[in-house]
Amino acid sequence: MTQGVALRASARAEYNAPQFMSRRVFVTGLGAVSSIGFGRQAFWESLAAGKSGAAPVEGFETGAIGRSIACEVKGFRARDWMTAAEARRMGRCSQFAVAAARMAVEDARIAPALLATERTAVVIGTTMGEADVISELESAWIHRGEEAVKSRTLNRYGTTLLPIHVARAFGARGMTQTLPAACAAGNYAIGFAADQIRAGRADIAITGASEIIEKLQFAGFARLGAIAPERCQPFDLNRKGLLVGEGAGMMVIESEEHARSRGARILAEIGGYGLACDAHHITRPHPEGEGSVQAMRRAISSSGLEPSDVDFVNAHGTGTDANDKVEALVMHKVFGERAKDVPISSLKSMIGHCMGAASALEAVSCVETIVSGLYPPTIGYETPDPDCVLGLVTATRKGKADVVLNNALAFGGYDAVLLLAREGVLPDTVGRR
Amino acid sequence: MELAITGLGIVSPIAIGGAAHRVALDDPRAAALRAFSGAVTVLPAAELPEARVAEVRGFDAAQYLGEKGLRNFDRLTKFMIVAAKQALEDAGLKKGGQWIARRPEEVGIISATAYGSLDAITELNLVAEREDPRYINPARFPNTVINAAAGYVSIWEDLRAPNVTIVDGNCGALDAVLTAETHLDHERADVFLVGGGEVVSEPLYRALRKLGIVAEGDAAWSPGESNANGMRLGEGASYVVVERPAEALARGATIRGLLVGYGTAFSAPESEALIVHPSVDGVARALRAAVSDAGIRPEDVDAVVCASSGLERIDAAELVGVARALHPDVLCAAPKSYYGETFGAAGAFGLASALAWLDGAPIAPVLCGTQRERLEHIVVTTVGFYGNVSAVVLKRAKTPGAASS
Repeated sequence: MTQGVALRASARAEYNAPQFMSRRVFVTGLGAVSSIGFGRQAFWESLAAGKSGAAPVEGFETGAIGRSIACEVKGFRARDWMTAAEARRMGRCSQFAVAAARMAVEDARIAPALLATERTAVVIGTTMGEADVISELESAWIHRGEEAVKSRTLNRYGTTLLPIHVARAFGARGMTQTLPAACAAGNYAIGFAADQIRAGRADIAITGASEIIEKLQFAGFARLGAIAPERCQPFDLNRKGLLVGEGAGMMVIESEEHARSRGARILAEIGGYGLACDAHHITRPHPEGEGSVQAMRRAISSSGLEPSDVDFVNAHGTGTDANDKVEALVMHKVFGERAKDVPISSLKSMIGHCMGAASALEAVSCVETIVSGLYPPTIGYETPDPDCVLGLVTATRKGKADVVLNNALAFGGYDAVLLLAREGVLPDTVGRR
Repeated sequence: MELAITGLGIVSPIAIGGAAHRVALDDPRAAALRAFSGAVTVLPAAELPEARVAEVRGFDAAQYLGEKGLRNFDRLTKFMIVAAKQALEDAGLKKGGQWIARRPEEVGIISATAYGSLDAITELNLVAEREDPRYINPARFPNTVINAAAGYVSIWEDLRAPNVTIVDGNCGALDAVLTAETHLDHERADVFLVGGGEVVSEPLYRALRKLGIVAEGDAAWSPGESNANGMRLGEGASYVVVERPAEALARGATIRGLLVGYGTAFSAPESEALIVHPSVDGVARALRAAVSDAGIRPEDVDAVVCASSGLERIDAAELVGVARALHPDVLCAAPKSYYGETFGAAGAFGLASALAWLDGAPIAPVLCGTQRERLEHIVVTTVGFYGNVSAVVLKRAKTPGAASS
């Protein structure tokens, strides 16, 4: 028994601490802006087809950086998803977020009046936020002085603006929160939003994450030696690193009561999520995957399930040597002998590493897996790595998909794992301790 | 909500360390004079001679953390680690850097910042723009990621429970209170450091100056009053240690106060063209929610730590919202007169002042209202520039070291 458990046990005997409400939380709408498609259907069809978003970078000059391939969102027209006034007051990251949120809301077929309330929360993750805005501002300042900096551009800067813009788009008047948790930000946001619904602080939430590719970030990852020259090959013996990606994944999630009262179509249920911190190194994972193991186990146990209940794992799977090796080790610690048989796949082989948005887009995919019973593939896998003996899905296939885990094992040792399940599968204790 | 505060760590313009901070607030006027006097070193003073900022003068992280391992930390990270270290020791969780209560897996951190990574981004952008992107220092690159500073705190102090960074403009540190409650409720941790940090940086100062919202020069400056004429920036980091009250008592911790209510609200501007706007409705709704969450009546609130920063319209809207949600005679004070505007960390500094007030420090500067003989409930507010507002209710523990229940 840990010291914490012992303290809690003795304390509860004499102190009647209030218990939080426990309500089921359902996913009722999905939206995606990605390098392989806009909207739920296009995104999922591309994933199931094993389509790659990798291509030469067009957004900025890469000649001096030494790497030139990324999974950029090409052909995104903000005005397809928002008014001119909205587009003007946002950077590209917020535009992605609002566009994906509008797709999710449309998919949820929800009346606008049900969103324009104090009971609607907006919780969004990111890593760098409006990075293009700061890049534009600093470039002007550095080369042409303070006079060249435009006030209108300054007003578009601020990571906190992501949920503000989304809330404003729907008239939401409740919680607005940005959770920058590096590459785990999407799971952080979705999990926390679900927590608030369970606690009765909100009835409905628009949640997910958004990220853009920006030159400084791209150069930084290149300088860290993390970017592959051409393609991302998670868990392959000859993997050469990640490809940077961008996009936004958004969900509409609701309390069971809210969803049932409006006759919503339920796509999946949000189970528990596990958070832990490696407290080891700012860029490298813990060599034994300690935090990641904790996060996976907590996601499963707080859903009232056992590891044997998990049907599919969406891997963090960045394609870097260190991540994939440790993630494979973590899988073996969590699933034991079964690890080599648990179906697992990495979308980063197709859409790149979308940083803060990665686990949000992957959560969208996890829901699609539950809906369709299809496991998306890890493309580019050629040579088995003896350090990564896993049940890797290399071609799209059907399989049992009642319980799906979404791994996000991020930069800085931020581990967040989210469990999603088919409606009716999770026990009543879901989301409890 | 009921969270016990059992420790405080603070790196501020008026003092470093909880005890020194408490002493400084025995004379808030002198603290304010000290905060804004002296040479400005964090900005190019020759180019910005009218800049008046509350910087943490003479801060030397090595004095608190030793010489080793600091090379690639930016100023924000150093502020945060020092404040976190102090808070853990003040709460009796660590001594001499070693855990004496709790285990690393049971302790996490919820940390807010608004512009914390801006300095690091600028440092690398200067290299990339003036020289070549190939020359940016990869060891400094992680600092450009907003949550890196809190990540370094976890590594330095060995905190293995959840590490969460929040960016909610000026509201982050109070939103961190709710986040801590949420994760404690779910038993994802047993103890959290809750607070945030911010630094004064040249790009931030120049940006706000360009927008015409910083007060420059030596003219009288009183946030919340009509002569404030803009904000003055501040910096630092502050964390409180929060835990479940009964567990704090069980381990013999001293409870400095109880966080018993939280509320938040967002109100969008009516004009499509606006982004920044004051929101009376947002203030009133957030305060009502916090008071309701605390299970008290509006008239039970004895004092309000206002977010007043010198932006006349936003400050005025806050006072109207406070009066609307609570009562017209509630005592309102403006601690940013001595901390400066610290954005994401502002709620953490406000909480530090509120704790000092519960401990007998004089409440100043007073904007309006009547001082009551005894303080039981203090509301701390944070007001964002975009219509987002958050508030918490701090309650006096019944007797020294005791929870209220």
